[in-house]
Amino acid sequence: MKIVVCIKQVPATGADKRYTADYRLDRTGVEAIINPLDEYAIEQALKLVDAGVADSVTYLSMGPESAAEALRRALAMGGDDAVLVTDGALAGADEWATAVVLAAALARLAPDVALMGMASDDARGSLVPGAVAAKRGLPLLSYGAELTIADGAARIRRLSATGFDWIEAPLPVVATVTDQVGEPRYASLKGIMAAKRKPLETLSLADIGVDPAALRGGALTRVTDSRAPEAKPPTERIENVAAAEAATRVADWLAARKLI
Amino acid sequence: MSDILFLAEFSAGRPARSALELATGAAELAAASAGSAVGLAYGSGAAAGAAALGAQGAARVVLLGDEDRPAVTYAGALAAAVRDTGGLALLAPATPNGRDLAAALVGLLDLPAFGPVRAVRVAGGAVETEQATLQGSAITTSRPVDGAPTPAVVLVLPNTFTPAEDGSGTADVSTAGASDASPFARAKVVESHEADARVANLDEATVIVAGGRGTGGDAGFALLRDLAAVLGGAVGASRAAADAGWIEYQLQIGQTGKVVKPQLYIGAGISGAIQHRVGMQTAEHVVAINRDPDAPIGEFADLYVVGDLFQIVPALTEEIRRRKGS
Repeated sequence: MKIVVCIKQVPATGADKRYTADYRLDRTGVEAIINPLDEYAIEQALKLVDAGVADSVTYLSMGPESAAEALRRALAMGGDDAVLVTDGALAGADEWATAVVLAAALARLAPDVALMGMASDDARGSLVPGAVAAKRGLPLLSYGAELTIADGAARIRRLSATGFDWIEAPLPVVATVTDQVGEPRYASLKGIMAAKRKPLETLSLADIGVDPAALRGGALTRVTDSRAPEAKPPTERIENVAAAEAATRVADWLAARKLI
Repeated sequence: MSDILFLAEFSAGRPARSALELATGAAELAAASAGSAVGLAYGSGAAAGAAALGAQGAARVVLLGDEDRPAVTYAGALAAAVRDTGGLALLAPATPNGRDLAAALVGLLDLPAFGPVRAVRVAGGAVETEQATLQGSAITTSRPVDGAPTPAVVLVLPNTFTPAEDGSGTADVSTAGASDASPFARAKVVESHEADARVANLDEATVIVAGGRGTGGDAGFALLRDLAAVLGGAVGASRAAADAGWIEYQLQIGQTGKVVKPQLYIGAGISGAIQHRVGMQTAEHVVAINRDPDAPIGEFADLYVVGDLFQIVPALTEEIRRRKGS
């Protein structure tokens, strides 16, 4: 049973970010990390290895050459090998183009489970996993609080409106998991040393059989403008007053805005 | 091809609030694009309720199926229906189900996708969207590239549109063709478990009272429930409170929980970490109650009350109850 975990390198959460003149993220001087939500997918995959259910874990990423660093960090947590798809034609790729590329790489890797985080920290559309499933012609099991594999099928425990469901599909599948799978493990010093010797393959679009022309410049969408949010009035503060006084003033504030 | 499509989810026999919001939004956009609002309805109750979406401005509704099954399993039928109807844009709710279906469509039909957006309009014959990006520090406007396939798929945050209530129209309902043989239909619910009956649907709430670590547990949340009740709202939580087991994960707001956009958000004992903030930053009015005068939530709250929530929340509940005369 083979798992491929797709990971994305993103700017560190909370880092001071800005756009370049053509509205791409300016990565200069911004610390890059594994998308924090992908770490839960890594953790879920490694749990399945620990349980003797998965035989191998491969990491797959699409990004600039520097994304190899994220793959090395993932390998330090565990797993066997990694693949980086990098190509000049992919700068500014949107969700659609990313899905085309990941699906082509996954066709080559042919895992039983292609596992992803539930969203990326920077884009937050959660659109890539389902689009990859569509491109691969596979079922999608999404937002799993837990993933199990048995008898040729994958199951996720997913929150429903009023409880939770177990949803099942026959392998192979594309699956995503949430932060409820448990805190990601830390890379040990031994793991960091071992990661340096694990295979990391770098592939171009040609290597995975994707014609750059088919990617239509890497995106079907474009940002046309960016501006600061509407200036909000400064925060009003109520402090150093008794609870009853605070309550009266909050109620006045709500009433002035017709909220009560 | 200037129709505006929208996903209309039904469950437990009635339309989700998102279906009413998006019907209203699609009708608004359709007026600007000289087209019609066309619903794509699925889930239990869709067959009986589809025509009534006309009240929110839907001219037509295509019924994908009336069964209560994972939304993504309707992806094949949805793609076939969208291929038939065409359209300028497809509005999908920025919920897990809406995202799953939107994502499947993007892959199946090679469509441009946007979201989650806080505004969408038709300008110059194409859709134009507004998104909060860079963790709320920028608002970006986006459009499809020239010559991009249509419809553009747009994930829409809850409460971006207010459901029209005075309409009396009836939508023409048609049924989507052939049964669904797509790979997406291989996913099946094999077990269903009901959780606590207190779980309200945060997507439908226009007032949310959320609690965090500072609530300390059940006693704190009981106070928040009283306040939510008197405001006619729902209770939500930060991840810390959900992880502590004080409240159900269905009520978690933030990056890995719900993204909400209520008229009024009151956060009590919530520090306002970025992971929580991305789930509620588009709320119209934000009130924070916190003992810490320097919590991050103070940077983006409209009203910041520094003090003990165990005293202030019950006092506020009592004050509002008194003013409402009940």
